[in-house]
Amino acid sequence: MGPEDLKRILKLLPGQPADEVLVGLETPDDAGVFMLDENTALVQTVDFFTPVVDDPYLFGQIAAANSLSDIYAMGGTPISAMNIVCFPCNLDMEILAEILRGGSDKLHEAGVALLGGHTVDDQEPKYGMAVTGKVDPKRILRNRGARPGDLLVLTKPLGTGVLSTALKADFLSEDDIEEAMMGMCSLNENASQAALAGGARAGTDVTGFGLLGHLATMLPERGLGCELDHRSVPYYPRTREMAESGMVPGCAYRNRDFIEKRLVISGDLDELEVLLLCDPQTSGGMLLALPEDGLRGFREIMGPEGCFWVIGRFIEDPEGRIVLR
Amino acid sequence: MEREKVDATGLSCPLPVVKTREAMDRGATGLEVLVDNPVSRDNVARFAANRGARVEVREENGLFRVLIDMPVTEGAETRSIPGAQERENKTAVTAAGTVVVLSDDAMGRGERELGSLLVKAFLNTLSEGELLPQKVVLYNRGVLLAVEGADTVESLKRMEERGVQLLACGTCLNYFHLMEKLAVGTVSNMFEIIETLMGSEKVIVI
Repeated sequence: MGPEDLKRILKLLPGQPADEVLVGLETPDDAGVFMLDENTALVQTVDFFTPVVDDPYLFGQIAAANSLSDIYAMGGTPISAMNIVCFPCNLDMEILAEILRGGSDKLHEAGVALLGGHTVDDQEPKYGMAVTGKVDPKRILRNRGARPGDLLVLTKPLGTGVLSTALKADFLSEDDIEEAMMGMCSLNENASQAALAGGARAGTDVTGFGLLGHLATMLPERGLGCELDHRSVPYYPRTREMAESGMVPGCAYRNRDFIEKRLVISGDLDELEVLLLCDPQTSGGMLLALPEDGLRGFREIMGPEGCFWVIGRFIEDPEGRIVLR
Repeated sequence: MEREKVDATGLSCPLPVVKTREAMDRGATGLEVLVDNPVSRDNVARFAANRGARVEVREENGLFRVLIDMPVTEGAETRSIPGAQERENKTAVTAAGTVVVLSDDAMGRGERELGSLLVKAFLNTLSEGELLPQKVVLYNRGVLLAVEGADTVESLKRMEERGVQLLACGTCLNYFHLMEKLAVGTVSNMFEIIETLMGSEKVIVI
């Protein structure tokens, strides 16, 4: 669902009654946070989707990494998970077994316990998880909190929306997008720890709303803006080529419309490049507001530049705009 | 030339592009792809342009007709009509001395809604055509076509990229408080505009 529709629907829900709800529906955060005591809070999230790749084992891993990512994006540590499965009963059960094996292997890698799950008969397979994590209530990594001067840091390349569309259209095979598949499988665990070590002031992960859509969730209505250098934004191989071949997913256009009002284009980038910055991501990287002096601590855990990218800087801006250079 | 028709209505991305490619791979040199949403329109047009085709988009009753003409390949049509070679060449020819004046953000008098659709189609078609004006002058409400958010900016940018000089009246931009919002072209003055009009061979006023 597009960001605009979601916002409209969430507005209809009643507000949060409990004081223990530290992060709820009011803010566009990645997961909800419920305080247990002053040192511990629960982080909860749920996410599931249709296959983005043909290989069921790989799809299972990607879906799990994607579900876990929302916990990492809040600065939390995932502890337990429940599978959510939709599967056509006339399809080979061996496929389902492979999907679940992929998910379970990824949970094992993350040190997360699988507690159970639920399966529904459906025409198209879907898989994902409800994940619970814990977080120090004083160290929650919220979407909002960046300050002017902070660096905008991204930890995975973009392009999975375009590439999986190209895969669906048979313009590419899975061999062609190996790097993107590995990227989608990889956990944001390291990035989350690096963010905490670098004293990141705010953060989220890049998923369905695309880079610009998620960046917009980091900016309040007024006061804070962000300058983004489009040339320093990394893409998986063949993304641009596939976008030029007409493989831009419809969601990228919806995301583009959503941020239109906040966008200022002052550089030499064409419309296609703007659309690429709106490409919806599956299991995308983390997007962080890092104070400049936190870069060293961040790098110590994350590795050298190339494992992450500094793509912009937060600025004072009364109108809360995103400036593309 | 007869174009093969491809009905891609009711289909969402990436299927319209897939159907277009299938038709091209069958050897079709001219295609008329019918789609029902802007995403498919853009993707099909981009795909075809990327394959070196000449692309034109027509909007009719909420549907989009993407007209695609593939470049004539060697061997297949050796008896190609004179001039086809130039048409393949994507570098534009600007008609020296021709000036297009955009004096309003609508084309023709009467229905404004219709007029704004017409001016959009006009600029889009002009920007993709073989022959471009040397200069485009925008004044009065015409400057609104070149400011941020206008759906004609892309066509104007394309013209600029292809060598057309765009002059936007500074007094008019100031009047609308849109000086900062000019998205394409350069701010001009009455002196330059008069010089352009007087020095032209043909002025087309929209």
